[in-house]
Amino acid sequence: MSPVPRFLRLSGTEAYNHTPDKNFLMIGERTNVAGSPRFRKLIKENKLEDALEVARQQVENGANVIDICFDDGLIDGKFMMAKFLDLIQAEPDIQAVPIMVDSSKWEIIEEGLKHLQGKGIVNSISLKEGEEAFITNARHILNYGAAVVVMAFDEQGQAATYEDKCRICKRAYDILVDEVRFPPQDIIFDPNILTVATGIEEHNNYALDFINATRWIKKNLPFAKVSGGVSNISFSFRGNNAVREAMHSAFLYHATQAGMDMGIVNAGMLEVYDEIPENLLTAVEDVLLNKDDEATERLLDLAEEFKGQGSKKLVEDLSWREQPVEKRLEHSLLRGIDKFIDQDTEEALSKYEKPLTVIEGPLMDGMGIVGDLFGAGKMFLPQVVKSARVMKKSVAWLEPLMEEEREEKIIAQASRLCSEDSTLSISEARAIATKSFSNGKVIMATVKGDVHDIGKNIVGVVLSCNGFDVVDMGVMVSCDKILDAVEEHDADIIGLSGLITPSLDEMITVAKEAEKRGFGEKNIPILIGGATTSAAHTAIKIAGHYTGPLVHVLDASRSVPVTTALLSEDRQIFITTNEENHQKAREKFNGTKKKAALSIEQARANKVSIDWKSYAPPIPEFTGTRAIKSQSLRELATYIDWTPFFHTWELRGVWNSETETLKTRNKEGGKVAKELYSEAKELLEKIITEKRFTASGIYGFFPAKAEGDDIHLPDHNVTFHTLRQQNKKFEKPNYALSDYVAPKSDHLGGFVVGIHGADEWAAVLREQNNIDEALMVQALADRFAEAFAELLHHRARIAWGIERPGQFSQSELIHEKYQGIRPAPGYPSQPDHTEKRILFNLLQANEKASVELTESCAMHPGSAVCGLYFSHPDSHYFMIDNLQKDQIKDYAERKELSMEEVEKWLGPWLGY
Amino acid sequence: MTTHLSEELKSALCERILVLDGAMGTTIRGYGLCESDARGERFQDNREDLLNNGDILSITQPDVIGDIHKRFYEAGSDICETNTFSGTVLAQSEFFVEDPRKTGGTKDPEFFEKQVLNNSELQDLVHELNIKSVQLAKEQANRVSQNDGRKRYVAGAIGPLTVSLTNVVDPNDTSFRPVTFDQVKQTYRHQIDALLEANCDILMVETIFDSLNAKAALVAIKESRTEAPVIISAAVGRGGETMISAQKVEALWNTFAHIDPLAIGLNCSLGPDLMEPFLRDLGKAATTHISCYPNAGLPNPLAPTGFDLEPQDMHDYIAAFADAGLLNLAGGCCGNTPEHIAAIAKSVQGKSPRPVPTLATA
Repeated sequence: MSPVPRFLRLSGTEAYNHTPDKNFLMIGERTNVAGSPRFRKLIKENKLEDALEVARQQVENGANVIDICFDDGLIDGKFMMAKFLDLIQAEPDIQAVPIMVDSSKWEIIEEGLKHLQGKGIVNSISLKEGEEAFITNARHILNYGAAVVVMAFDEQGQAATYEDKCRICKRAYDILVDEVRFPPQDIIFDPNILTVATGIEEHNNYALDFINATRWIKKNLPFAKVSGGVSNISFSFRGNNAVREAMHSAFLYHATQAGMDMGIVNAGMLEVYDEIPENLLTAVEDVLLNKDDEATERLLDLAEEFKGQGSKKLVEDLSWREQPVEKRLEHSLLRGIDKFIDQDTEEALSKYEKPLTVIEGPLMDGMGIVGDLFGAGKMFLPQVVKSARVMKKSVAWLEPLMEEEREEKIIAQASRLCSEDSTLSISEARAIATKSFSNGKVIMATVKGDVHDIGKNIVGVVLSCNGFDVVDMGVMVSCDKILDAVEEHDADIIGLSGLITPSLDEMITVAKEAEKRGFGEKNIPILIGGATTSAAHTAIKIAGHYTGPLVHVLDASRSVPVTTALLSEDRQIFITTNEENHQKAREKFNGTKKKAALSIEQARANKVSIDWKSYAPPIPEFTGTRAIKSQSLRELATYIDWTPFFHTWELRGVWNSETETLKTRNKEGGKVAKELYSEAKELLEKIITEKRFTASGIYGFFPAKAEGDDIHLPDHNVTFHTLRQQNKKFEKPNYALSDYVAPKSDHLGGFVVGIHGADEWAAVLREQNNIDEALMVQALADRFAEAFAELLHHRARIAWGIERPGQFSQSELIHEKYQGIRPAPGYPSQPDHTEKRILFNLLQANEKASVELTESCAMHPGSAVCGLYFSHPDSHYFMIDNLQKDQIKDYAERKELSMEEVEKWLGPWLGY
Repeated sequence: MTTHLSEELKSALCERILVLDGAMGTTIRGYGLCESDARGERFQDNREDLLNNGDILSITQPDVIGDIHKRFYEAGSDICETNTFSGTVLAQSEFFVEDPRKTGGTKDPEFFEKQVLNNSELQDLVHELNIKSVQLAKEQANRVSQNDGRKRYVAGAIGPLTVSLTNVVDPNDTSFRPVTFDQVKQTYRHQIDALLEANCDILMVETIFDSLNAKAALVAIKESRTEAPVIISAAVGRGGETMISAQKVEALWNTFAHIDPLAIGLNCSLGPDLMEPFLRDLGKAATTHISCYPNAGLPNPLAPTGFDLEPQDMHDYIAAFADAGLLNLAGGCCGNTPEHIAAIAKSVQGKSPRPVPTLATA
């Protein structure tokens, strides 16, 4: 691979690479207060919009870089440099090109560098103040990343002669390259273009000295560039543009031949070299190249002839102005041009008659196109903001008329109100009417838990540009605060924003709460926006919780059309379309497969691979069943995991059994938990001592072997059926529980436990209106049932020889650190509840443990747990999902049930 | 020592495509933490919620963060980023200083100066958070390296801010910015000093959506005089522009070439498919290594990870990028779990890295 050439590479938002085909880099000079009286005047009068226009025109006229300079005794240069460059950041056309930060004061240069996102050029540094300052400044520039213009100055002053120019440039180059390690291609020398034809003899060779020095620099200082302020050369001919333009062009012609790379020029004031009249060209070149002592005289004589001529006018391409007014408005919005917006708005008004029709018609159509282009990546954010600002101008022009119209409507409405209701005073009626015709008020907030709001701020800017009254509540705003503000401000629209995934749930919460407060009934629209939100998610997960209009807004460019539509008189059309779209999205979502699926054969081919040949399954110390008629409640209590207990009372957190505290952020919650726990302990004691509950259960082991996805118990001729994951997976198996049973001579366990006495007791308490205690009784019964399952599993593992007594602490047991699992039918690893029937029959659970199974496979008593035992060390819980028709058909055949029956039981897990 | 590290990384990059890690946020969510977990004892009474302040978990849930690093390293990451994406005083202030807009104020340079940048409590917390985060990553890097004998690295993540230096926030004054360049530089410098104090191997200025904010971070790095290798990574939109400041990728390279970064690349915002053309543009321009860690597709709030693409999909895209000679470092951003990274690691295994064009000698 050949090395990349060391071109000077600059940037605004676009890259500018000074490749050989570029010939000459033009630096626009009109935004320099020292060079342009007009620009200086605009800045002094603080007409910054117009000053920006000067910058834009230079870019349009072909400047590759624009020079910006505020060196003037009456201007605060540092302040203005920062302000002007910030303004440029909002102008997409201008900030496309690199910027030359021009000042003789270092502090202004550095301020400029702090406001350039791209790589610009510093103009300038020099050895005027000595080497130390030169090096320090160069290092700073290198830190920021900018090219640098080095003036041919040293401690003794400006280099005028060829020799001085070469000497000083060489010295500066060596310091920069060797000491500062400045990239040589980023060094630009300005060996001083000085005025010729001044009448002073020693000035006659200035042009040649520059040209020759340029040739020397390009030859001897590798990769360095040469630049200069071209208009200096012709200063003696001020007022005679024809001659000046000819001099500039001829000078540039010769200087570029010598290697000059770039120059500060008025891009609109350059004659084409070949079009300079021959006699003028000869005279000019004689002066520039110092042909003889009379050259100046000759040019002065000739100059008289050309006075008043010249100054080529650049013609702006205004062909778009011939299009119809709608197209012109669109063009202005798209390109961010505000020059014609007032006159076009006026024309549109005469055509459309009503201000609102202009806004909702051609202006909104234009913004719609902006939105499309933004969505397609063909327009960028700063351009969208610019479009919104043009829109703002148009709306501002229409505003007084709308105000008038509004006033008329308010008066009409107020008098109608008065005539309908004689108790209303005129001022009251007026207040009511005013409210109904006010600009839309939008409450905007980034929802709780989320700190991102750059996007939301842009929406705020765009909306306020379009006449909406925006109340921005900031970030991390709680649901209550948002809704309070809506009431307080009597808002017309709620805007919710969020960037991160968890914000989606918070938006659902806000929608629910807004509904509770009756906002849905009042038809207050909610807008949903932000990077992770989507139209589909809004339709499927959020819209269902709110009866008012709820709209997903794709990006800032869409916020105006949506908001305008929602507040227009025809809002119902928009709302209906929005709801239809939601409906379609929901139908599509419900009708599509969420994930790629494998066929059941493929899924089986990707089963868990266990090398059964080198594995000896553990053998339990007994086979058949063992029943426990009445398990000690005291022992069970030590197995209780309290954390879920508090969930019954909506207290989230983790229970620490040692400190007997609930780890929760909610201090009040922690206190409540403590009280609750002491009540529970009291009741628990009562239950144990008074034997209020009876814990009975049964468990057992059976010889078993896996047969496909089934587990067969040959001694009892019983078969358990398992389901297999059908999601397309990456590097992980498609699990089924049968994978953990050996194809021969293994065992399977099973258990059922129940807590008796709780349901009846709770019923009695309810009759006595003692709801709290009833709830507590049932919650404790549930805990006992889970504890019983845990205790039995503990015993079963010991009986199976896969755990030693006392191997794990109580808390390790709660955290399931042990080997083996006890999945229950109806839970994620095997979601089919009907497998309970097989288990209950096998264990005779009804007869021996008094736990019944209802027709719908629910257990009675309510506090009961059942499951199968697996011993294999790799066995673990997983989630069945995305079941396909092929597996369901096969499964139905294995269970000798109809497809419909199986589909009924497994509805939520079907992937088709 | 850091110069040595640069050389070591460069020589590794000559031989193979190095693997970065995946999404911290997405992976954290897999642990099902709740608000009280995020607060821990220490921030129990904090006014604002902290669950979505991923960085604070380095202090309150170090085991979770350590476990995530471990899983990424084990999945094949050569380099993991520290959990410091928002580890700046400015970004953390969102969780610890009340938003002045809630009480009718504005966010402006004065607010940041008074309430945030000179808030010594916040400074100390952010310092601690960065130190702790580097330690957590280093611990796992060392542990996993010892297990399989392959060296792992820790990159200090320097993320974007919640305020922008280029973006217009007031339509009536388009020159108004809520914060100044010097303030942004100061907040980044504070983070960078902490990351370096804890000896992170690489500094990674990433998810750049505003080139001027990034420039402030990079000036801060320059001014710190560190020789730690730097990776620069931008988040671009569908037109290949930095999301907020709208700078094209080649312009971005021109802006930051003087840093002589170890790598420049793209991450976040897009999936691999939409990112590809801009990765090519950047690769053509940049005379350094190219890194790429896209999102797992576009956000899809209905997908379990919040993003569309599965490990196999990422595997296929990244493999194609590697085959096309576009990559020197690859990983995943939002939506990429350790499983995704395992797939990405597999996809680049044995594939030749992109040959890095050199700049003509001076």
